[in-house]
Amino acid sequence: MYGDLGIKLVQHAKRTQKLEHLPAYQTEIVRAVTREVRDLDKDVSNILQSHNGSIDPSADPATACTLLVDHLCMRRNKRCLLAYHRTRTDKLEEMVWSGNDVSDLAEQQQRPGNGQGSAADLGNVEGNSSSLSPEEEEYVRQYSDLLAAFKGQWTDIDLTGSLEPPRDLFIDVRVLKDAGEIQTEYGTINLTKNSQFYVRQGDVERLISQGYLLKLS
Amino acid sequence: MQDISDILEDLNRSHDPYGADNYNDGRPSGEADLQALTRAWINERGTVELLPWPKDGLIERVTDCVKTQIEKVEELTGNMEPKTNFSLIIIQTEVERWKFLIRSFLRARIEKIDKHTLHYLSTPELQARLSEMEVAYATRHQQLLHQHYLSSFLGSFPQNLQNLNDTAGGISMISGPDEESGVIARGLGSKDFPGEGVIVQGSGRDADSQVEVVRGEVVVARWSDVKEFVEKGEMELV
Repeated sequence: MYGDLGIKLVQHAKRTQKLEHLPAYQTEIVRAVTREVRDLDKDVSNILQSHNGSIDPSADPATACTLLVDHLCMRRNKRCLLAYHRTRTDKLEEMVWSGNDVSDLAEQQQRPGNGQGSAADLGNVEGNSSSLSPEEEEYVRQYSDLLAAFKGQWTDIDLTGSLEPPRDLFIDVRVLKDAGEIQTEYGTINLTKNSQFYVRQGDVERLISQGYLLKLS
Repeated sequence: MQDISDILEDLNRSHDPYGADNYNDGRPSGEADLQALTRAWINERGTVELLPWPKDGLIERVTDCVKTQIEKVEELTGNMEPKTNFSLIIIQTEVERWKFLIRSFLRARIEKIDKHTLHYLSTPELQARLSEMEVAYATRHQQLLHQHYLSSFLGSFPQNLQNLNDTAGGISMISGPDEESGVIARGLGSKDFPGEGVIVQGSGRDADSQVEVVRGEVVVARWSDVKEFVEKGEMELV
């Protein structure tokens, strides 16, 4: 039935919106839907050809109806595909904004069972292959470049910084993972696991979002 | 941006909570800029539609302020005298707040642009609302997206279905923001007739009506109804 696969993609997209991670790219369905569109298009041109390129809807309502349905199905499939891809790219962009790059994403997928990674891998049936299509990986790479360029124009503001209004200049943090030494204007701090520090928020913002540090309230 | 003496002075001064901008020497003061920035930020976050980029160079001015203040901080750092150290902390806190406002403002805009990229790029009037950088970003982003669609599936579509801006069947593929959504706005008084309110043409579900909104009054209205007043600065969102 036309459109069955399209709705599957939309359902996948809907599901993706609620998930923390990105489920595997549905290469098969995408391909099948695209094929359906091509078949429908062939169908349409065949019908048109057999009628010498023009039909009178009132004289031949059945053919006119077929054409209309074909036409609508093609457009619907296109919408489904667009919706599916857009949902995924939105998700990917969000990840780029929060400071992940492609290699991080791929790495996360390749190490099932590793702390944070395990949650992200639950939905990935194929185990250790990347859940991104090659096109998506390329997209993420280019979008990262674009974002970096855009951000570069606002160096002092740090566009990808926290969107929570700042309350305190200094905060307590606990180190969750060894992060090595960082330079602050008050000297060097050595961030070893399980130690606790009172530091300037601006200095460690990045490390918090990357999961090295935990902000204590 | 203010240095510490201004801040202390501020504490003693009572404020008109929605007072007009004080342009005393022709150049907006730091305080006026802060107020303008806060207003722009609240307005931008309150609406679904992208508002025009502040024309008078507000954002450029405030980023400059942040830059000079950061330089000042660097200069003062290392001076461990308790008194400077204290003012350093105040300046840094202030800088963080300004940075947050600007960041949040820019991010809110980017989010809206990303959501309806083609809509904002479609006409010159809409495009004029974006800053140059934003136009560059939006154009490039749209390019990347289209490229991605093309290589993922659109490329193997029939030629006549490859566009992203079809309007076949009377439905445009380009969606815009919902201008009918509700906002909460406060009257700031008419600019043409000082002391008077503005007349809002409210479109209701059953009937339309006119409502005068005086300075300080807060109303719930559809964005499309109060849009012109907010853009003229006769109302602000809360």
